[in-house]
Amino acid sequence: MDIRRRNNIQITGRPDGPTVVLAHGFGCDQNMWRLTVPALAEHYRVVLFDYVGSGGSDLSAWEETRYSVLSGYAQDVVDVCEELDLRHAVFVGHSVSAMAGVLAAHAAPERIGALVMVAPSPCYIDSDGYRGGFSAEDIDELLASLESNYLGWSATMAPVIMGNPERPELGEELTNSFCATDPDIARVFARTTFLTDSRDDLKTVTAPTLVLECAQDVIAPREVGAYVHAAIPGSTLVTLPATGHCPQLSAPEATNTAILDFLRSLR
Amino acid sequence: MKIAARDAATGPVLEIVGDLDYGTAHELREHVGRTALRPGQCLVLDLSRLEFCDSSGITALIAARNHAAAARAEVALAGVPDNTLRILRIVGLDQVFALHPDAQSAVDARSAPTPRV
Amino acid sequence: MTFPLGDAPEPSEAQDAASTDAAFTALLEDSVDDLYESAPCGYLSTLMDGTIAKINATLLGRLGLERRDVVGHQRFADLLTVGGKLYHETHFAPLLQMKGAISGIALEMKKADGGRIPVLVSSVVKHGGEGEPLLIRTTVFDACDRRAYEEELQRRKQEAERAHRQAEADRARLQEALAALQQSLLPASLPAVPGVETATYYHTAAPDRLGGDFYDLFALDGERWAFFLGDVCGKGPEAAAVTSLTRYTLRAAALHDPDPVTALTTLNTVLHERCTGGDPRYCTAIFGILTPDPETGRAAVEVASGGHPPALVIRADGGTDFLPTPGGLLVGALPEASFTSATTTLGPGDTLLLYTDGLTEARTGPDRAELYGDRALLDFVAGHAGASPQGMVEALTGLLESLGDGVDDDTALLAVGVPRTLASSRPATDHRR
Repeated sequence: MDIRRRNNIQITGRPDGPTVVLAHGFGCDQNMWRLTVPALAEHYRVVLFDYVGSGGSDLSAWEETRYSVLSGYAQDVVDVCEELDLRHAVFVGHSVSAMAGVLAAHAAPERIGALVMVAPSPCYIDSDGYRGGFSAEDIDELLASLESNYLGWSATMAPVIMGNPERPELGEELTNSFCATDPDIARVFARTTFLTDSRDDLKTVTAPTLVLECAQDVIAPREVGAYVHAAIPGSTLVTLPATGHCPQLSAPEATNTAILDFLRSLR
Repeated sequence: MKIAARDAATGPVLEIVGDLDYGTAHELREHVGRTALRPGQCLVLDLSRLEFCDSSGITALIAARNHAAAARAEVALAGVPDNTLRILRIVGLDQVFALHPDAQSAVDARSAPTPRV
Repeated sequence: MTFPLGDAPEPSEAQDAASTDAAFTALLEDSVDDLYESAPCGYLSTLMDGTIAKINATLLGRLGLERRDVVGHQRFADLLTVGGKLYHETHFAPLLQMKGAISGIALEMKKADGGRIPVLVSSVVKHGGEGEPLLIRTTVFDACDRRAYEEELQRRKQEAERAHRQAEADRARLQEALAALQQSLLPASLPAVPGVETATYYHTAAPDRLGGDFYDLFALDGERWAFFLGDVCGKGPEAAAVTSLTRYTLRAAALHDPDPVTALTTLNTVLHERCTGGDPRYCTAIFGILTPDPETGRAAVEVASGGHPPALVIRADGGTDFLPTPGGLLVGALPEASFTSATTTLGPGDTLLLYTDGLTEARTGPDRAELYGDRALLDFVAGHAGASPQGMVEALTGLLESLGDGVDDDTALLAVGVPRTLASSRPATDHRR
């Protein structure tokens, strides 16, 4: 199988620099990193990819069974690392990808030498003594919304409703955005993202780790950032002056500075 | 396929024109089924203008024979084309049906006081 | 807190109108503020972090909220349901940040009384003179009717998909059943006959239809083997039922009395009783008994035919002829049927070939008007005299392939032969009883 095509691998930056892998989370694709790449490119070799089912990946390679568990996404990370024969790469994972990175680093420790977790959450649902930010009902509501395609009509319904072979430009126009995904695939990804409890996996982390959290993040609140920081001994926690779940877009300078500081500290 | 029916002194004569095959054989079977036969009559099937006959056509001919037998009547084939005659020979039906060169000789053969051919 | 409204078109239009017709102007919007507040859709403006800076009365009223609780206190995402909020954070916000504008996204807002309103949201980022993002302007359209319509559409689509899956599953099951039934009409493999080699070929003209051709070969006792090959008239399940009946009748009949004429007579009785009247079902068949002689290395053959094209005997020396069984009537059509038998002996290198008319009735010639015919078949197999049964069947398979779509019927072949030995390359004599 052609992993480069399957995961739409893009390589940029300084060819002989240390390798940094940037992994997108639920919702969008590698374009999430377009404000991060220029900051890294001068000194680092930057590897971008899309998980199977997202962005420019090969949708025909998507299997519901594999991508219904987080380890399926972690396997994509390992596949990419093996395809490029990476050693001690720095893995930067956004949102659910941060946890996929934890699993991948555990599965292939020689490939991943350090972790940057951007707005991570090991568990979104509140439970005794843990505050993930959402009740089980909240998550059910999200999933139900996705099931019935309520949300993001023009982005996610368009391929279905507008899938008119006579007029392909209709679907094209509405879906030509990097956050558009096949509704069935998006549902599975959402289910995996929001229902997985991978708190125990944090204990397996041995690599140097930077945890980046946003000052205001509905999806990964401050308590969660503190939890991740506490669960990974020796990790560094940086709180970015950012609102929302995507600091690499809403506060790119602060995000880039924090990542670069961490990368320099690894030398 | 077209079927032209007329009555001769010996009984009905059905002329079958065109292709007697999977698509048309049922028409002949239905037509024969509607054709009243009295005991001792002879149903003559005039095949001189038959252009093609496949196994479905053969089945229709056998059905016609069964229909006649049920009415204690006879059946005769007239003007059987060579290629159909070849098939009739392979499957042994040349010994089951009375064969005549044309419809008139079939009628004549039955009209004459001599017993069946 | 107020924000500039930007380049709304109405004021300039109103001014143009005022210059031409003051009375008309009075009927037009004379207050931009009122137009904003009472517009037939919701308007709101937020800071880049989502904090609501301005919101119109239409939207406040629709949500049942007070301006003082909202402006400066809540973010746009706070007005959304949890599902909408998560979608906003994972899709809407990043897309807006990347593209500067986003339109017609379906979300759900929550009302103060706990109800929810489906809405279509469009947002655009307003930039300052330096190109720096200043604020986000958002319009909110009520989408209750549209949501109901979408849900109906979605429901119908799911129904259609379910029906489609069901149909596909049914089709697959039917295919499986057909394949299993087809298998039951043919032996999985032929038993080994000492001193004799056999080969078969079977092809159905339409893959999704049951074939009407059949063959079999089986041991009667330690010394004799019975074989048959035939063609049931018609195709499909009805024909398959007759094929199955034929196969098991012939097997049972042969075990009871292996005389070929008797076996075919029994079959005629059974088939005729099953299918009488206006829907005759019949078959043509050759039935035979094979008796290899271990001492001479030859094999005696006795066959009887019921309306079937005669078998071919291909001698090792090239002498090739039909084995005539004249007068044999097709089986099952008439209450009484006569069958005749013929015998021969196969010596080393001799082969007996049974075939169905899919081969001889294959259409040839540029306009597919000619039939391949008995004569051509005779010449073809004569050209392969001395070949093993396997070799003969392979040659005929090649022939059938070369005839392409001219073969429009099912085709079955059964070849039985005595292997050529080094010692005897001399032609065998025809021993007819």
